Amino acid sequence: MHPLLARLDYAAAYVGAWLVAGMLLCTSLARQGVAWADALVFVVPTFAMYGFVCLSAWYVSRAMPLTTRRAAAVATASGAAALSGGVIWTIIAELWMALLDTTPGLQGAAAVGRVQVPFLFSVAVILYLLVLSIHYVALAYEAARAAEHQQFELQVLTRDAELRALRAQLNPHFLYNSLNSISALTTVDPEGARRMCVLLGDFLRKTLKVSTLDSITIADELALVDAFIGIEQVRFGSRLTVERQIDESALACRVPPLLLQPLLENAVAHGIGGLIDGGSIVFTVVKRDGRVLLRIDNPRDPDVPPRRHGGVGLENVRRRVQTAFPDRARVEAAAEAGRFRVELNLPCIEE
Amino acid sequence: MAHQTPLRLAIVDDEELARRVLREFLTSMPDISIVAECANGFEAVKAVADLHPDVLLLDVQMPKLNGFEVIELVGRDVAVVFTTAHDEYALRAFEVHAVDYLLKPFNAERLANALSRVRERLARHEPLPAAALAATARPPGVPSTRVLVRDGARVHVIPADAIDYVQAQDDYVAYHSEGKEYLKEQTLAEVETMLDPARFVRVHRSYVLNLDRLARVELDKRENRVATLTTGERLPVSRSGHARLTAALER
Repeated sequence: MHPLLARLDYAAAYVGAWLVAGMLLCTSLARQGVAWADALVFVVPTFAMYGFVCLSAWYVSRAMPLTTRRAAAVATASGAAALSGGVIWTIIAELWMALLDTTPGLQGAAAVGRVQVPFLFSVAVILYLLVLSIHYVALAYEAARAAEHQQFELQVLTRDAELRALRAQLNPHFLYNSLNSISALTTVDPEGARRMCVLLGDFLRKTLKVSTLDSITIADELALVDAFIGIEQVRFGSRLTVERQIDESALACRVPPLLLQPLLENAVAHGIGGLIDGGSIVFTVVKRDGRVLLRIDNPRDPDVPPRRHGGVGLENVRRRVQTAFPDRARVEAAAEAGRFRVELNLPCIEE
Repeated sequence: MAHQTPLRLAIVDDEELARRVLREFLTSMPDISIVAECANGFEAVKAVADLHPDVLLLDVQMPKLNGFEVIELVGRDVAVVFTTAHDEYALRAFEVHAVDYLLKPFNAERLANALSRVRERLARHEPLPAAALAATARPPGVPSTRVLVRDGARVHVIPADAIDYVQAQDDYVAYHSEGKEYLKEQTLAEVETMLDPARFVRVHRSYVLNLDRLARVELDKRENRVATLTTGERLPVSRSGHARLTAALER
């Protein structure tokens, strides 16, 4: 349906505009010597009817959008529509004159109409073109608004995705505990507090930057791992150490970003965090026959039964690996007395 | 300000920095004496038994014994203020009658506020029921995989697998495991709700049995049913106990 008919205020403004146009027409007729009353009786009702006819311009503007059609086609269609509009006005005028002829006292108005039909026909055609062009302008404005809105929506969605990725990857307690460490350091070790702030800022920036990417190199992923471990080492002190065995040739392989993060978080929280004297996380990366092996091996309290399925973090990693490398990757987790090991076996894809 | 008796306090946190910030806040407060700093739950239980502090500032996630397990063991002897980065334990914390729950990081005012609540609680001298502590120290609906028994300043951790049977003895129950006996102030009904019902069955008014230890059930000379365990021990089985045993074995 035409948007003007859906909104009362718009419809009223439209009818008002037609009344003004009708009055202007009457004025111009009066200048030519026609009696005001006759001009009013003939012009206002026929053009008021014609106003509704002109709403058909909406369909024309939709059917022939300026952006997709050739200018000649649009001009032809517009011209044809305007001429048809003029013809329809003429029919309305003829019917109205027939009615006026049968009404005593109004025959004068009908006579005026007969004389003025050719002039008013051209006015009707021009008015139709005017209404049509207003529709085109409105359409263009609407399109611009929609594009702007879409752009905005896209921005919101992107930001939203970033935040959601960050939330999924980043355990809030990691942040709270880090802030608590900073709070402790501020008075006794201001230099340490500043170092911790820089580490945390560095880690957050890197995390945000990669969270929306499809894949990053293992070298970049290891940089994130280092930033994370650096922060946790401030918290846990001598309880947390890391042994790394990194195969340099594996660094260019690409993996989904932040894949190792939840595994390291587990290794720290459920491994090192459960041991009074802490221990060492052994982190190994090997490339072999076009495949890359990532292994995280951490000590754990043998008196605490291992969690079923290894928890939410490990489950997420499994899902992400499965999505990134359908049927071409393996994730294995094994709990032995006093140790927990997760091994990712992925195809090495380099760019 | 009116002079008050010093509040005797123990800090329990496995992170050195977390202990340090508490110590710093506390040293600037009047009428506080830090009697112990503990890096894990065992040390906390020992500190309560040996030094009798008025209040524990207690972290939740710690090696060996978590904060709730510490409360289960010593919660009646000391007021507890939890300090943790996790807000999801707050409800359970108040169920075990914690005085306050501080979310890390917090400031000195928030801590002072918690300690004035502690003073109010101590002034009222309310004893706490042990049963409520033990029952709510576990997440609801999750059977215990181990039983904690306090013996003075020592804590025995008995894995559920290692329990042969549990016997009621007046106000206590005795856990029998690997030839030893551990007494805990608890009722047998509480033991039943705490342990996995698929494996531990109340065979008698005074006995809960680990099904894995059951060798056979037979009638003695006076027509009473008796369960013989793989350890050779013999436990009486009541009529309703036998029905429960049969139902559990059929499952």
